[in-house]
Amino acid sequence: MPSYNLYMGCSVPANYPNYETTLFRVADKFGIELIYMEGVSCCGSPNLRAMDYLGWLIVNARTLAIAEKNGHDIVTPCNGCFGSLKDVYHFLTHNADYKEKVNAELKKTGVEFKGTIKPRHFIEALYNDVGIDEIRKNITKPLDGVGIAIHYGCHLLRPQDVTEFNPEIFDDLIRVTGASVVEYPLWKQCCGATVLPVNEELAIRLARDKLKSMKEAGAAFATVSCPACANQLDLQQLGLKESYGEEYNLPVLFITQILGLAMGMKDDEVGLAMNRVPADPILEHLSG
Amino acid sequence: MVEVKTLVSNPVLVIGAGVAGLTAATQLADFGIRTVLVDRLPIVGGNAMDLYKAFPTDDCSYCFEGSRLRPGIRKCFYRSAILDQPNIDLKVNTEVTEISGSPGKFQAKLSVGPQYIDSKKCIMCGLCIECSNAFCLPSPQCQPQAVIYDPEMSDEGAKKAEEECPTKAINLGAQPSEETIQVSDIVIATGYHEMKPVSIDEYGYGKIPNVVTQLELAQILDPNGKSGGALVRPSDGGQVKRVMMVQCVGSRDENYYPFCSKICCVYALKHANIITLERDGTQVTVVYMDIRTYDRHERYYRVARDAGVRFVRGRVSRLEACADGTLDIIAYDSLLDKYLKFNVDLFVLSSALEPPKGSAELIESLSLHPASGFVGPADLTSENAVVAADHVYVCGAATGPAEIPESVTQARAVVSMILQSRK
Amino acid sequence: MTETEEKADPPAVMIEPIDISKLDPDFREGIRSMPNGEELSACFACSTCTAACPIASTWKYKPHQLIRMILLGMRKEVLSSEEIWLCLTCFECQERCPQNVRVTDIFFDCKNLAAEEGMIPDSIVGLARELTDKGQLYVVTADWEREDMDLEPEVPGLSTEEFKTILKGTRTGRIVGGDE
Ligand SMILES: Cc1cc2nc3c(=O)[nH]c(=O)nc-3n(C[C@H](O)[C@H](O)[C@H](O)COP(=O)(O)OP(=O)(O)OC[C@H]3O[C@@H](n4cnc5c(N)ncnc54)[C@H](O)[C@@H]3O)c2cc1C
Ligand code: SF4
Ligand code: SF4
Ligand code: SF4
Ligand code: SF4
Repeated sequence: MPSYNLYMGCSVPANYPNYETTLFRVADKFGIELIYMEGVSCCGSPNLRAMDYLGWLIVNARTLAIAEKNGHDIVTPCNGCFGSLKDVYHFLTHNADYKEKVNAELKKTGVEFKGTIKPRHFIEALYNDVGIDEIRKNITKPLDGVGIAIHYGCHLLRPQDVTEFNPEIFDDLIRVTGASVVEYPLWKQCCGATVLPVNEELAIRLARDKLKSMKEAGAAFATVSCPACANQLDLQQLGLKESYGEEYNLPVLFITQILGLAMGMKDDEVGLAMNRVPADPILEHLSG
Repeated sequence: MVEVKTLVSNPVLVIGAGVAGLTAATQLADFGIRTVLVDRLPIVGGNAMDLYKAFPTDDCSYCFEGSRLRPGIRKCFYRSAILDQPNIDLKVNTEVTEISGSPGKFQAKLSVGPQYIDSKKCIMCGLCIECSNAFCLPSPQCQPQAVIYDPEMSDEGAKKAEEECPTKAINLGAQPSEETIQVSDIVIATGYHEMKPVSIDEYGYGKIPNVVTQLELAQILDPNGKSGGALVRPSDGGQVKRVMMVQCVGSRDENYYPFCSKICCVYALKHANIITLERDGTQVTVVYMDIRTYDRHERYYRVARDAGVRFVRGRVSRLEACADGTLDIIAYDSLLDKYLKFNVDLFVLSSALEPPKGSAELIESLSLHPASGFVGPADLTSENAVVAADHVYVCGAATGPAEIPESVTQARAVVSMILQSRK
Repeated sequence: MTETEEKADPPAVMIEPIDISKLDPDFREGIRSMPNGEELSACFACSTCTAACPIASTWKYKPHQLIRMILLGMRKEVLSSEEIWLCLTCFECQERCPQNVRVTDIFFDCKNLAAEEGMIPDSIVGLARELTDKGQLYVVTADWEREDMDLEPEVPGLSTEEFKTILKGTRTGRIVGGDE
């Protein structure tokens, strides 16, 4: 079975152990080996890209270069890391000048970026290398009849020529659990995470619009594939009561949590207690 | 002096010898149909003579592949076609003054201007031009291949030329004449006229020397022109560093012409690109309401943006001529909601393309449908835009503003209609 | 009124037009030469980007206007605008641009230029400091939560030293250093 370099980034391990653990549990089910990468740190986020393009290129090229040593593709559970790695990979493989410049810096740290392995989101690897049929065989607790709204996240979807992500992957991974994908008008829209440090009010408003759109379309709960999006959609719901006087009570689960539950994992195994908005409706469904 | 010609089989009368009329005439002639081709000017070619490079190929679109290598527009193959084609009776300096009769058997009265120069004799030696400014050679490839004479500029030198012309081609005493011919079909190919926007006072045309129209700009850019193609100011011949163009001058304006002149956006950008890419360091700004580079011509717009042509959506708010010959211009940029101030050497107006003088009379005399002053189709619901009436056809810019390829296509459609009717 | 009396400036009722000759003609080419800036010139001001943007309704300068301002050479206004920092980097504008102008990428370029000139919001300087001090944006604090989830308390393989060293040598280091 396939092996990957696992690039965690900084947010998942610090804020979402439930995501991290379900990542391993799901991988385990399919015999996927996830190898924590040695000697790496944060991707810097779009904020680093904004203030220091070259620095952002170097740190992410370094991550890619480290993975090249054992030749396995990188998988990451974070859209932000995915966006950074994909963009740097795309940029450096299309710009020889910058590649040279970055490699001159990387030389000091003893690695070289060649572009021989690809960065991927964990769900892409799951979908493409394990396959929907294989996953289907493992669904023991189907989520039949549950309507789930997917928040794909900006940096997974766009820019499409860079991320090369096909949103149907996400849809299929939800549908294979028996759940239905709830279409909602604002499905493309940003959750507001990036603007949080600069304008909190605006960030909250964006999260609220998103949740409203999902809820109005009839979603029983929402799913994400990124810690920053989870932060915005799950955690911010508490803030919304305060600022907008609105209560959405829309549980937000990581895609691996959903897959885990559908494959028969217990709620504590998937760390449901750590989700801010109680995920009771799902548990009721599963037990009922 | 009226001379009625009786013919075995009646020829076709083509009015206007621009690209449309030339195409129709030469093709009809090639099919063995006799054609009388008249134009009020002394040489053929119409407006296309003054265009320098033409879209869509940046060359003359009706030239053969092989001749595309040379710059400029005037190496026209119609020259040889006209010379070698016995079926064409070319009458320059000629206008149609009256049309009577019935479809298939029209009588057309022609007023033929004085034939000062016998083009069959003239060998273009240039002697007369040395003697007097009244003679000139419009272009080395002009057709007919002869000099032209302007009686308004007549002087002593002209008389000397008349005497000394080696082929005795000059007749200063030539008189106008009239003749009536019988024709089966009439092809209207009278083209367009670029409006002289003197009455639009906010642009200062006709008052400020460095305000010109696009057609005038084309002549400045022409390598065969006075400045040898250098972009210079009409006021003092100084080099132009900054140009501003304004679109929709007199077009899409209920006070002048309500229609869109259709091709001015394309040729404005053609000129903007030539200036930006071939006249070093000249900055062009285009002030527009909409850019309408229809179908394949979108390319010109894209190239222009890439080349660094500036586009300002909005209108000119104020224009002031400065003592040094430049113009101070304030334009309102509706996209930014800001006023921008420019200083330019040359201000170019994309002026409306209007029906040429005499169109109304022609339409009236044949009871045709006018379309904003141009010649409309006989049947608005039919697909035959080139059929103006029974045995009357129209092609090229006589139908309304049109580009060369379109004019040529329409002329060919006319030819095929006439051939069909004679089958 | 005497000659010696001081003349007060007349009240400013009219707004002066923007003098094109005073703008920076090199700004356009400068941006075009930056990462993904090349397609900048293809912009034909259709404003699709602005229509696509989820937050531009709150902006003084909308995305299409910022692009126009770059093309015109309004360097100062663009680099000091707060909009470029408010951008969500959601790429909706870029994705929908009919001329393939990489709008979001270009705003990243603008932010880099602004940062180089010290025009950078405090909150972003704060993030720069986090990155150079801690070597990451988020640090594990609740390691018991990780253990509860059967994870190692510390993230395996994590090493922040190289990261910090790299960024101290690039602009991030200057942003942080220059503030001290
Ligand atoms: C600035 C400018 C740039 C252009 N650039 C391009 C370009 O790059 N590419 C392109 O495809 N097109 C271009 N065009 C358009 C092009 O000029 C026309 O498509 C073309 O000239 C139309 O040909 P025509 O034969 O229909 O009419 P015209 O060229 O107008 O010819 C009509 C002829 O009829 C004669 N005539 C008119 N009335 C009478 C009458 N009553 N009796 C006798 N004779 C008469 C006129 O003297 C003239 O010779 C441009 C136009 C302008 C104004
Ligand atoms: S002198 Fe006679 S032959 Fe020579 S150019 Fe003049 S008209 Fe023609
Ligand atoms: S072609 Fe362009 S300039 Fe000409 S009238 Fe139409 S919109 Fe105006
Ligand atoms: S969408 Fe593209 S072409 Fe349209 S205004 Fe924005 S950047 Fe320009
Ligand atoms: S990337 Fe920025 S400018 Fe573009 S749509 Fe998103 S928020 Fe608006």
